[in-house]
Amino acid sequence: MKANKPVSFFVLVMLIVAMCAAHPPQVCAQTAAGKSSTNSSAAQWSVQVDRVDAGDVNLASSFQFAIYERILDELIKTKRFKQVLRDGDRNAVDVFDLLILKTTVQKYTAGSETQRAVTTISGATKLRVQTQLCTRDGQVILERTVNGSVRFLGSNLRATHNLARNVAKTIKQSSLPGPSLSASAQGGQL
Amino acid sequence: MNQTAVLWYRTSDAHFLKPRSTVAFLLLLISCGVASLAQNVGQRTNSPAPLNIRTTHLLGFEDVSNNANGTLSFKGDALQFQKGDKAAVQVKISSVQDVFLGDQSKEVGGLPMTLGKAAVPFGGGRAISLFAHKKYDTITLEYVDKNGGVHGAIFLLQKTQGEVLRNELVARGAHVSQSEGESTKQRTAEVPSEGK
Repeated sequence: MKANKPVSFFVLVMLIVAMCAAHPPQVCAQTAAGKSSTNSSAAQWSVQVDRVDAGDVNLASSFQFAIYERILDELIKTKRFKQVLRDGDRNAVDVFDLLILKTTVQKYTAGSETQRAVTTISGATKLRVQTQLCTRDGQVILERTVNGSVRFLGSNLRATHNLARNVAKTIKQSSLPGPSLSASAQGGQL
Repeated sequence: MNQTAVLWYRTSDAHFLKPRSTVAFLLLLISCGVASLAQNVGQRTNSPAPLNIRTTHLLGFEDVSNNANGTLSFKGDALQFQKGDKAAVQVKISSVQDVFLGDQSKEVGGLPMTLGKAAVPFGGGRAISLFAHKKYDTITLEYVDKNGGVHGAIFLLQKTQGEVLRNELVARGAHVSQSEGESTKQRTAEVPSEGK
């Protein structure tokens, strides 16, 4: 009876290992399929990033431009769009399937790097923005509220980096309609 | 006797006159020298020394990596950033749409300082943090590229250098939207934590 115990334990361990070995490929395949499907739809779009609108928030120009520049960088890194264009870029006129990314600051908490370093728990710099992906005619196809903050280490401008990364991540994870669908919808509206 | 007296007088007079003329000549030379030096100084003040500002490029300047240390200077009608011996990256001053000044407080010492603070027992590193901050100026340049795309480049400079660079840019024809009287200085950091 005692000799059976290690054998049954060994069988149980082997079973668990076999199950683990069998499942990850399925999960990987699912995620890969999901990625390819989302990428294929969004890869046809190009995006133009508008300048950051500070709204009613008293936000320094350096912060506004830091958010703008970092969103551009992060969107390029995602490789979800054919082209990532800047605000005012004349090449956007020739791009047929163009989305416009509008960013409006909703809330800003100016922190302090010194306070963060001394207390750890206070002095966080926080940003909250509303991002909208619109078509040329103003049809909003994606709208999200995104946060970015720096709580422990780093300068205040690091909050813009975290925010831009979250914006890019949100856009990457959301499924966008294909340009043709959007065009037909626009045609139906017209 | 008389002849001797006259000769002695003449000789003494000649001896007396020689030093006087030498002194006069020396004075003339000195005054000429001083005048020419003054002229040189005047010329130097009329043509200012080329502006070279050590800076850290935080982000946004095209083709320059983030957090790169280099020098900002003017070359012709362009503002250029040069990092070490690498080729300088230029932006035409006429393409600068706006200039914003700000200031930022930054912790000095980098990673070694952070590790050192962590090693101090009984949380003593936190006390060091109180004094290990230095204030810098930030300057944000809004400019357009050849396609009309908007860029925002942020540079970190030594205190008071931001104002110097901004004034130089304005003097060279950069557009600044805010009026001269209005303070363009904006705080980007070290503001008491508050919701806005």
